[in-house]
Amino acid sequence: MTDVNDVPKVERPPGVPMSQWPSAYEYVLPTGAPGTVTLTIDGREVKAQTGDLLIKVAQDHGTYIPRFCYHERMKPVGMCRMCLVEVEGMRGMQISCATVVADGMVVHTQSDAARQAQDGVLELLLINHPLDCPVCDRGGECPLQDTTLAFGPGESRFVEEKRHWEKPIPISELVLLDRERCIQCGRCTRFADEIAGDALIAFGSRGAHTEVITFPGDPFTSYFSGNTVQICPVGALTATPYRFRARPWDLSAVETSCTTCSVHCRGALESSSNRLVRLLGVDSEPVNHGWLCDKGRFGYEVVHSEDRVRHPMVRKNGELVECSWPEALDVAAEGLKRALELNGPKSVALLGGARGTNEDAYVWARFAKGVVGTDNVDAQLGDGIPAEVALGLPEATIADLDRAAAIVVVGLDLKEEVPVLYLRVKRAAEELGVPLIELAPRDQGLTRYASTSIRSLPGEQGETARRLADALGGARGTDAGADAAAALLEGRAGDIVVVLGRGDLAESAASTVRAATELARLPQARFIVALRRGNVRGAMDLGLAPGFLPGRVTLDAGREWFGHAWGSVPATVGLDAEGILRAAEQGRIHALMLLGTDPHDDCPDHALAEGALNAAGFTIAIDAFVTDSTKRADVFLPVTMWGEKAGSVTNLEGRVQRVGQKVSPDGTAMPDWRIAAELALRLGVDFDLEQPEEVQDEIARVAPAYTGIDSTLLRRARDGAVAPVADHRDELVLGPVSIPLTDARWEPIRPGLDAVELEDAKTANDEADALRADRLTSVAQSAGAPPAPALHRFTGGVTDTAPPARDAYALRLVTGRTLYDGGITVAASDSLSELVADPVLLISPQDRDRIGVEDGAEVRVTSARGSLTLAVRADAAIGTGTAYLPFNLPGSGVSDLVDLSTAVTDLRVESLS
Amino acid sequence: MGKFSGFGITLKQVFKKPVTTRYPKEKRPKPERFHGRHVLNRYEDGMEKCIGCELCAGVCPARCIYVRGADNPPDAPVSPGERYGFVYEINYLRCIHCDLCVEACPTEAITETKLFEFSFAHRADAIYTKNELLVDDEGHAKRQPWELWLGGEDDETSAWMRATSPSGAAAYEGRIVWSSELGVGYRQPEQGQRRKKAD
Ligand code: SF4
Ligand code: SF4
Ligand code: SF4
Ligand code: SF4
Ligand code: FES
Repeated sequence: MTDVNDVPKVERPPGVPMSQWPSAYEYVLPTGAPGTVTLTIDGREVKAQTGDLLIKVAQDHGTYIPRFCYHERMKPVGMCRMCLVEVEGMRGMQISCATVVADGMVVHTQSDAARQAQDGVLELLLINHPLDCPVCDRGGECPLQDTTLAFGPGESRFVEEKRHWEKPIPISELVLLDRERCIQCGRCTRFADEIAGDALIAFGSRGAHTEVITFPGDPFTSYFSGNTVQICPVGALTATPYRFRARPWDLSAVETSCTTCSVHCRGALESSSNRLVRLLGVDSEPVNHGWLCDKGRFGYEVVHSEDRVRHPMVRKNGELVECSWPEALDVAAEGLKRALELNGPKSVALLGGARGTNEDAYVWARFAKGVVGTDNVDAQLGDGIPAEVALGLPEATIADLDRAAAIVVVGLDLKEEVPVLYLRVKRAAEELGVPLIELAPRDQGLTRYASTSIRSLPGEQGETARRLADALGGARGTDAGADAAAALLEGRAGDIVVVLGRGDLAESAASTVRAATELARLPQARFIVALRRGNVRGAMDLGLAPGFLPGRVTLDAGREWFGHAWGSVPATVGLDAEGILRAAEQGRIHALMLLGTDPHDDCPDHALAEGALNAAGFTIAIDAFVTDSTKRADVFLPVTMWGEKAGSVTNLEGRVQRVGQKVSPDGTAMPDWRIAAELALRLGVDFDLEQPEEVQDEIARVAPAYTGIDSTLLRRARDGAVAPVADHRDELVLGPVSIPLTDARWEPIRPGLDAVELEDAKTANDEADALRADRLTSVAQSAGAPPAPALHRFTGGVTDTAPPARDAYALRLVTGRTLYDGGITVAASDSLSELVADPVLLISPQDRDRIGVEDGAEVRVTSARGSLTLAVRADAAIGTGTAYLPFNLPGSGVSDLVDLSTAVTDLRVESLS
Repeated sequence: MGKFSGFGITLKQVFKKPVTTRYPKEKRPKPERFHGRHVLNRYEDGMEKCIGCELCAGVCPARCIYVRGADNPPDAPVSPGERYGFVYEINYLRCIHCDLCVEACPTEAITETKLFEFSFAHRADAIYTKNELLVDDEGHAKRQPWELWLGGEDDETSAWMRATSPSGAAAYEGRIVWSSELGVGYRQPEQGQRRKKAD
């Protein structure tokens, strides 16, 4: 139990907003006016802020008061009474988790009375607690065990029969509840209610029979259920994927970022015997507050899937057969050379890169653009936002949401696409009172927290955004909804943070670009571009986008700079994903590289992807799985996955953080970037890169937006570095603040740094200051280099065309992503694949009655592109005149209906009965 | 006669009873606390005692035990309760027979016999899995082809637990506080050291 006592004391500058506090563990529910009080804890005088909780103040000054129900990220409830202390002059014992400090308070946490109270509480808790430790997942890291050992009585006087319940009962597909072990602390129920907003578990019965219950027929199907397992102070809640897989003493951990979506929540990735077994949330103040979504938490299972490709393969006599690496690389290089000789660089294209690290993206970009010489490179698949927009908008950080004048969510359903960002926006709206304005075609996850929701039909998003921007800019009176939204901002200073995404993949990206253009007119607007795919931001930042070079510079602006650094760059701007697929379909792509991407399943326009993959020339798959796309490859180069390689990634706010390697791969898979370096060697260019750190250092040297973000900085920056680092100097926390990752798994786990940083706080601090000063002033400038290019800025873009009129019988298609989709992360992990729902066409009740079908009936859905047969259901969340079908669910086939070249997709829905 | 007195000693020894044991057909009794190879015990109803808790693996100073637990199949449980030892391996090239694993075990599942005579021709043979360690349906240790022991020799165990007592309290000395074993029943308490001294 020494962990928490080791927390160094961190001064909080008065008057600075909470989200800018220097330490992640300085969160206290804000109450009362700011001011300083002085109190005495166990004979030591300490200073605190008015409104701080005693338990927290004591902890920050090195006195650990035992607790079970108190959690720093939730409101105190005083359920467990474990935190009793003696306060002079107050009658009886006080619960320190719900006692606010006062000036002159004299507190004893270790007096005889306090010790007796602690003994008593623990003896009472243990009366009904089973002796399950040997078979309990918590055993060995159990707060109840630890607290009993440190603060409890040695023996129990209770010899009677204990309370019995049926042993673990499932409360959801992922979580089991053992009611015998529950100590009724209410952490899980409070989390579900307060933090996740899915109040699906509660307490039932009274007294010794109190139990955590779910409501009949309504399991705890929250996207965040895994967090309750992590914060439960006993082994009452266990996660099925981890259950009995390992014991705490055979785990080792590495700090990493989850890259399932682009939020990049910090986590401690744990393995045993070279198998990943658990991912725990790490409490990073600027990113995830310690929470993870279940897809991220349990998605590690994909790494050990049986279906992983373990050795390289080449096509021989029509079959992919295993071969050696040199052979596969030679075949790949030959294929590329042939295409280059016959048709030049324009006939070569690279799709993908959003699943790898920044190092992967950079080396592949350097290979494609600097060696092959093609600019036909895109990390997205026509399902995102063009890089000109995504990389050039004025940016906001996640923490900016907390202090924004208002939050505008455009399009996407945050809960389905970027779940932990959803939690952050929900908290800002609900707890911090930031007005939330939602622009979406239907009711979705955030709608119930929105101050105002503006519904826009597919294709009309740009127009709706224009009206909103006008109203926010002061020109009111044209649109009541927009005026209502603008009224919310009255008296609120600060930025308007716009969360921009693609909520509807059946609507063309132009609509989203137009919305961005309109909102970007507002001087106080700043953007978080929420594209879901893992490291799509890092990939675009580091050059895997047409017309861009690494470091957010356009091809034209960076021509000279990169010409100097790399030797050569493509002559003209190349094609984006849609363009590449069209060119391939017409037989103009003679060599296609698929870098961890699956156009067959992920491109909204299936016919286009299918045609392109069939007609593409020589195809190289750089992937971990044989998918519907990569099964056609001529060469298959297997790659290591997350957890198997170290590196760095950039999240949707531009924060660069490290990912760690925890296990080594089965077979001979290689990191993506090494494959690019090997191919470059075969094409006659030696990158001379051996370690991911060397790639990081090269990025810091040549990619302008990443100037200074080298391996040393990344190793030292607790919360990573937001690029460009010179604009975000306050976000850079360097130096010795850390509890080693292995401790206190039920308390918020703090971001760690390398152990060496802990040794000498003073020197480390001085070094950190020097490092910081260095990073902020020096722009790497080698002799003879041209001047560094300016970063790209978005200055307004394509105007979308007004969508065609919808005829009265048609429904306009809305298709958005769901969390548990048909992607490989879900499909290849045993626990998650169970959670995928069957695709159902959702329409409004009015439309259902008009068409004349029952809920659950089969209907035929026809677009200009194709037709499908599936079940239909009415849902009040869907606007009249629209139909919602989830994208990329196995069997939904929605991409058969969509044509990327049209602005919207209209459907005919016919009853089959 | 001084120079012949040495022969006298020899002569005296010739008529004494020889101390030679006809090993391996005969063996000398082993000390009570002698530590040999392990067995994984079962309850008298045939259920396995091991619950896969890994406490033995955690305590082993030679790091030679590898255990993995798993959920008991509800229709055919292997052990009582939720969890059973799914994988259990001891590497005898590393085991130092310290008996700490036996002390750590909450269910008396792992105990040490006094069988020690085995030599391996292959490294893999030295890694005993559940297959080799688990007692057979009569409760006897399974004899491996490379082990040399006589029937009945496996009835003895290394007996530490029958000498100690919960919390080390002397009041428990001689009282049975352990579970019964398949084929053996309740093992008798070892005579306490205190009583032995008094004898
Ligand atoms: S919750 Fe803790 S004290 Fe209770 S059985 Fe599990 S490990 Fe033991
Ligand atoms: S299940 Fe765990 S978190 Fe929930 S009330 Fe019980 S002890 Fe607390
Ligand atoms: S006897 Fe000692 S060394 Fe051998 S397995 Fe047991 S704990 Fe390990
Ligand atoms: S032998 Fe005993 S200590 Fe070892 S895993 Fe089995 S029950 Fe646990
Ligand atoms: S921690 Fe204070 S009552 Fe539970």
